[in-house]
Amino acid sequence: MITFLKYTLLRIGFYILTVYVTLTIAFIVSRLVPGDPMIATLSRMAEAGAIRGSLELVEEYKKAFGLDKDIFTQYISYIQQILSGNLGISIAYFPSPVAGIIAMALPWTILLLTVSTIISWIMGTLLGLIAGWKGLEKKRYELLGIATLLFYIIPYYIVAILFLWLFVFILPIFPRETGYGVFVPEPGFIIEALRKSLLPAVSIVISSMGWWYLSMRSLVASIKREDFILMAEAKGLRGSTVLWKYAFRNAMLPQITGLTIALGHITSGALVVEIIFSYPGTGWLLYQSILQLDYPVIQGIVIIITITVATANLVVDLLYPLFDPRIRR
Amino acid sequence: MYIKYHIIIRKYIEVLANLLHLKTFLTGFILILSLLILSAVGFFIIDYKYTYAGAFEPEKPPDGTNILGTDVLGRDIFAQIIYAIPSSLAVGIVAGAIGTIIGSLVGFIAGYYRGNLDNILRLLIDVFLSLPSLLILVLIASYYRGTDYITMALIISIFNWAWPARQVRAQVLSLRERDFVMLAKLSNMSNYEIIVRELMPHMMPWMFANFINATISAILTESSLSIIGLGPQRSITLGMVLYWSLSYASIYRGIWWWWLSPVILLGILFLSLYMIYMGVTKYFSEREVII
Repeated sequence: MITFLKYTLLRIGFYILTVYVTLTIAFIVSRLVPGDPMIATLSRMAEAGAIRGSLELVEEYKKAFGLDKDIFTQYISYIQQILSGNLGISIAYFPSPVAGIIAMALPWTILLLTVSTIISWIMGTLLGLIAGWKGLEKKRYELLGIATLLFYIIPYYIVAILFLWLFVFILPIFPRETGYGVFVPEPGFIIEALRKSLLPAVSIVISSMGWWYLSMRSLVASIKREDFILMAEAKGLRGSTVLWKYAFRNAMLPQITGLTIALGHITSGALVVEIIFSYPGTGWLLYQSILQLDYPVIQGIVIIITITVATANLVVDLLYPLFDPRIRR
Repeated sequence: MYIKYHIIIRKYIEVLANLLHLKTFLTGFILILSLLILSAVGFFIIDYKYTYAGAFEPEKPPDGTNILGTDVLGRDIFAQIIYAIPSSLAVGIVAGAIGTIIGSLVGFIAGYYRGNLDNILRLLIDVFLSLPSLLILVLIASYYRGTDYITMALIISIFNWAWPARQVRAQVLSLRERDFVMLAKLSNMSNYEIIVRELMPHMMPWMFANFINATISAILTESSLSIIGLGPQRSITLGMVLYWSLSYASIYRGIWWWWLSPVILLGILFLSLYMIYMGVTKYFSEREVII
């Protein structure tokens, strides 16, 4: 129980630290901008169609946003604002709050990422298990290995571009996306969501599967040589029992730990895939915001997605004791 | 401290010769070399002006004068590729080198001195590894538009050190328990001397492998940032060529020669670098190489 408690507290502490580091980096980056950030923001607002601010207005704004205070007070109030869910106001869609704009795109990204990561993790792990267990010398596993390795090396966006060209331009099975979609939980909506998500999801699965396949294959291949496997086989246990209860369970642990490291990597790749497919998620929103120089939205997306990834990592970490009885003690 | 440079150089040549016997390393090496030769020869034959808008007739499919065709602004795609290869590689090498050097330093300190310093550094490494680095870089790059490829490389280095640091730390942890380190300690060598003269020669091969890996990830990050729209606007990199073609919807418009060339070249670049990485790690893990 003590080990479990210590483990849980450490993971939660790590989670808080990760979120804190992200918020701090975002704060430092926005304050180190060359020139006065307020004037820069006002001139951008003017470009976006708002009234150009006079210097008095700048002073008023600074007071209203607490920018006349020292940097430390600003930092405290910045953290407070974000923790209370206030991410600021969009410049391009003035005066909509950033949180509301992101809230429309976020379910799309979470849906795409969760489904494709789980499918790719299960498929890669199972294929790796079979290939590692049956031996690497067989020809078909070698071919599978080369194919997965190839997709693993080639970046996500290349697979996405080839898919887009094949299934939207050459064979128009899927219609061209326009990039906008409101997430409403209705029956008819599910078909719409599936149609939009299928191609991006398949390309993410194909690109990320190699990671799991390769690590599981080498894990199982090395566990196979362990003495306890030999012992289990010598005891006369059935082949499937040795595979699932001995090899699989031991190889699972590094594979679950790998999930927490890979999640950030997959998210980065998936955001670019979203842009290529004009998928209505946060990646596409990010692309639009960069085109429109909408800094509050860019910062909001970065903070929200990082916190989402950190939370997913925390969930995986907290589920880990289910698979590793040593921590449950 | 006295270092015999001629022995070290001879040693490097010997290792390279051995590596060239490996099929994976050799293939990757030849591919990278031919890309470099292609762009070096191209530098002399093809005028930089061909990459300017309006240099040729727009949207021309490949033919005799423009072997890879032209884009919607009339820029020659072959010329863009020729000038993009070295800058894409340069981003990777600069960010890869900075990442490896800082990462190795952190890894050495954490692994060698242990204690509280190690705990703090390890925590920092883990935080940086679990963050979606591309997103944080998007935030940084959106404020400081990296207008040329060297600025871009510097921005990318902010995250490129964590993985080498983790690898080096793990290696140092196992090396410091070895007998020769104990012997060096007993013969009253300083910590600095032990790191440089005893540990470094064992670590150099792995630092080289880390460097290749960091180069791959830097090129990947640069091209991804470019596609998101935060690439080096003033330089031509393969990612930027792809960005322009995607932002003009070349796939939907059927201008296949515009997006296909950067895609194939990026594919070859990643494939060859990865083959070099695989060859190097295979060679170094099978025997202990001391440089």
